[in-house]
Amino acid sequence: MLSVLSYGRLVARAVLGGLSQTDGRDYSLVTASCGFGKDFRKGILKKGMCYGDDACFIARHRSADVLGVADGVGGWRDYGVDPSQFSATLMRTCERLVKEGRFTPSSPVGILTSGYYELLQNKVPLLGSSTACIVVLDRRSHQLHTCNLGDSGFLVVRGGEVVHRSDEQQHYFNTPFQLSIAPPGAEGVVLSDSPEAADSSSFDVQLGDIILTASDGLFDNMPDYMILQALKKLKSTNYDSIQQTAQSIAKQAHELAYDPNYMSPFAQFACDNGLNVRGGKPDDITVLLSIVAEYTD
Amino acid sequence: MLTLLSMFYYICLRRRSRSGTRGEALTSRRAVESGQRATLPISVEVEQYAKEVLDFSSHYGSENSMSYTMWNLAGMPNVYPSSGDFTQTAVFRAYGTWWEQCASAPLPFRRTPKAFHSQDYIELAFEEPVYPTAVEVLETYHPGAIVQIMACSLNPFSQNPPTDVRWEVLWAEEPTKVLTPQARQFSPSIKQLSFPTNLIRVEVNSSLLKYYTELDAVVLRGQKERPILSLYKMPRIDICDLSDSDEELSDPGASSRQAGDGKHINLGNGYFDKLPYELIQLIVSHLTLPDLCRLTQTCKLLHQHCCDPLQYIQLSLQPYWARLSDTSLGHLQGRCTLLQRLNLSWTGNRGALTLTGFSSFMKACGGSLVCLELSCCHFLSEPCLEVISQTCPGLQELNLSSCDRLHPQAFTHISKLTQLRRLVLYRTKIEQTAMLSILTFCIELRHLNLGSCVMIDDYDVVASMLAVRCRSLRSLDLWRCRNLTERGLAELAAGCRLLEELDLGWCSTLQSSSGCFQHLARNLPCLRKLFLTANRTVCDSDIEELAANCPALQHLDILGTRMVSSSSLRKLLQACPKLLLLDVSFCSQVDARIVQELCGLFPNVAIKKSFTQ
Repeated sequence: MLSVLSYGRLVARAVLGGLSQTDGRDYSLVTASCGFGKDFRKGILKKGMCYGDDACFIARHRSADVLGVADGVGGWRDYGVDPSQFSATLMRTCERLVKEGRFTPSSPVGILTSGYYELLQNKVPLLGSSTACIVVLDRRSHQLHTCNLGDSGFLVVRGGEVVHRSDEQQHYFNTPFQLSIAPPGAEGVVLSDSPEAADSSSFDVQLGDIILTASDGLFDNMPDYMILQALKKLKSTNYDSIQQTAQSIAKQAHELAYDPNYMSPFAQFACDNGLNVRGGKPDDITVLLSIVAEYTD
Repeated sequence: MLTLLSMFYYICLRRRSRSGTRGEALTSRRAVESGQRATLPISVEVEQYAKEVLDFSSHYGSENSMSYTMWNLAGMPNVYPSSGDFTQTAVFRAYGTWWEQCASAPLPFRRTPKAFHSQDYIELAFEEPVYPTAVEVLETYHPGAIVQIMACSLNPFSQNPPTDVRWEVLWAEEPTKVLTPQARQFSPSIKQLSFPTNLIRVEVNSSLLKYYTELDAVVLRGQKERPILSLYKMPRIDICDLSDSDEELSDPGASSRQAGDGKHINLGNGYFDKLPYELIQLIVSHLTLPDLCRLTQTCKLLHQHCCDPLQYIQLSLQPYWARLSDTSLGHLQGRCTLLQRLNLSWTGNRGALTLTGFSSFMKACGGSLVCLELSCCHFLSEPCLEVISQTCPGLQELNLSSCDRLHPQAFTHISKLTQLRRLVLYRTKIEQTAMLSILTFCIELRHLNLGSCVMIDDYDVVASMLAVRCRSLRSLDLWRCRNLTERGLAELAAGCRLLEELDLGWCSTLQSSSGCFQHLARNLPCLRKLFLTANRTVCDSDIEELAANCPALQHLDILGTRMVSSSSLRKLLQACPKLLLLDVSFCSQVDARIVQELCGLFPNVAIKKSFTQ
């Protein structure tokens, strides 16, 4: 008698659990990062998550998973400023904001704004500029909230096709929108976009969706079909296979960047604008590859 | 019969020993089985970082920021074991004795007990109440500021807070010099508590430090169960018993005894009452307040002396903040009719003081009040300020520092205190209209502190009003005022010519290219203190103007500018012989070698150069 009741309870629980599986469970992003700095000598000395002048972060919070990529504008080097300092500090600050819960999942622009404000609160006089792309997965609502300022960006791939992508923001050729802190007196001369100028979007995601967040070093060297081809090899949702795929994508982009005969998307765009160039675009490459999976503690 | 009783007694004893905790029973059974002596249950030691920062007296950072603010003390450490000046740490507003040297600093209160050294505090809540075995503070820059650690019996997360709140001192010591600025883990040996706690208060004194101290995290180690050693109830040692009762006091005549031959030998007070009144008053004036209250209860003569209002011209209740209540104020009320200076800073929180108690005290004693310190008094409300404005017409000094829970409407009452000379509103929520109203009526202002007053919309208008109405202004603290521009500054320099101290730290809207700093230097020859902290536009010409026009300069902070070179600093150091403090931290053109060289040439100047690694 008792065993029948307990058995019945078990069955009921399993059935109910199965019914509510897709709706009630929280989602999470399983993310791996990989990248190559343009200048090898700098890449080794940097702390993790910095590739040349690019920087990125992966942060977890109770309510959300957040990723970010920032591409430091290399032109500052000519003025004696290390371009990687700005992007790295911005990404580390955004990471800390997320970890301490000082953000709203539905507003990645808020993270960018707070992060930029915190940079100004640093005693160290920071100089430089960078693009920024922030992607937030709200665990409960299964929505992906994104914001993008500049020419870094993200792709969302479902069933072998790109379903969402970010738009590039450029002022003119090779001059993306950028957050910056300029030396005093040069504020009028240096491009400085407000975090509010970032493009925002929000959409639903499903289990198994692949999200690729990267700096322009990837997108300028690898067209979509090549990226999709590489992503086809991604079979499972465990961290190691994601890591392998991220590495292969970054490596492929890195090799293509130094191929002088290859017609990269960058070269294609230049040709469309009247500049007769060919070959890849040597640049810092940062790739963050994530899959939407169920949340496990 | 006896055997029955003894059997009964034996059974009862066995049952009693078995009805201990299940854990105890298990271990004792196991021990019996293994043939060993039964061991005591192993208490689980819990280690936790602070969950939340509840209250603090000051901090360096901005009110909605996570850089150099007190909220960084909660959670896991971000910087330790690295040393350096990092944004992810908790930093207090001041260090050393620089602020005490300024004219804007309040005079110290008499009768401050020698054991009270605290200048700032922070209160932390932890997740689980434990009996503490250790408290570790991870200090990452210029350690050595901590002077007292206390624990509270109240659980700040409980829904029904108890009425009696006890604070016990876990550890206290006077400030000691720590020579190195390197990070350290500070873990003093703490007292055993008889109650579990998850509310810890750390008090600091930074006066011996060479630069700002920075704290990264606080670890509370303790046991969930009461440790065996402290099963006996710890006597509650009340070192401060401010509530005395008006009991029957012994008659001087009663201290006599019968001599052998029946004659009364009148011992009196041992000739004490032969001393002149003023001499006994002088002797008694050296006692601390608790001793004074205890002495009151000894005899009628000393009761008269100790309750004499002349002993209560200055009253500092800040050292006794943990034990002050409405009743204590009520008992002191009768003696404080001549009160001129009152320090209630840090007192009255968590319901210890209420509007009734405070207003009855002020109505009785506020008549001659000249100075009122109410820093971090979270019990204050608008009616309290109304009472102050009504009962203290002659008030000259008012300190409402860090009273951030005070409603903006409350500040309008301050404009009735037309004799005000010193007003501190650091970290309050005062708004533009109340501020302008105060400046209109309080024209005697000499010292004004508006640091981190984030609710004031337009500082240019405030500066303009100051220039028009408060021409005797000597010191002005505009730390982190976010929208002061060169217009406001120019009007200020034109109107308040007697300005000696000006703190414009982190005012990012001031641009040196407008010439505002040079204009300032030319118009304020009496300038003694100028803070231009983190104004990235300060340049060589500004320094040279200061050198040319402000020979009285003593404190200068130009942290974080890339535009100042060592040559202009040399000129400044030569032109200002009274210079004592020069902060050139994060000035990229002034490296450690230059600092060393300048220190050698000008040994009287403390040249500060902070570092991040």
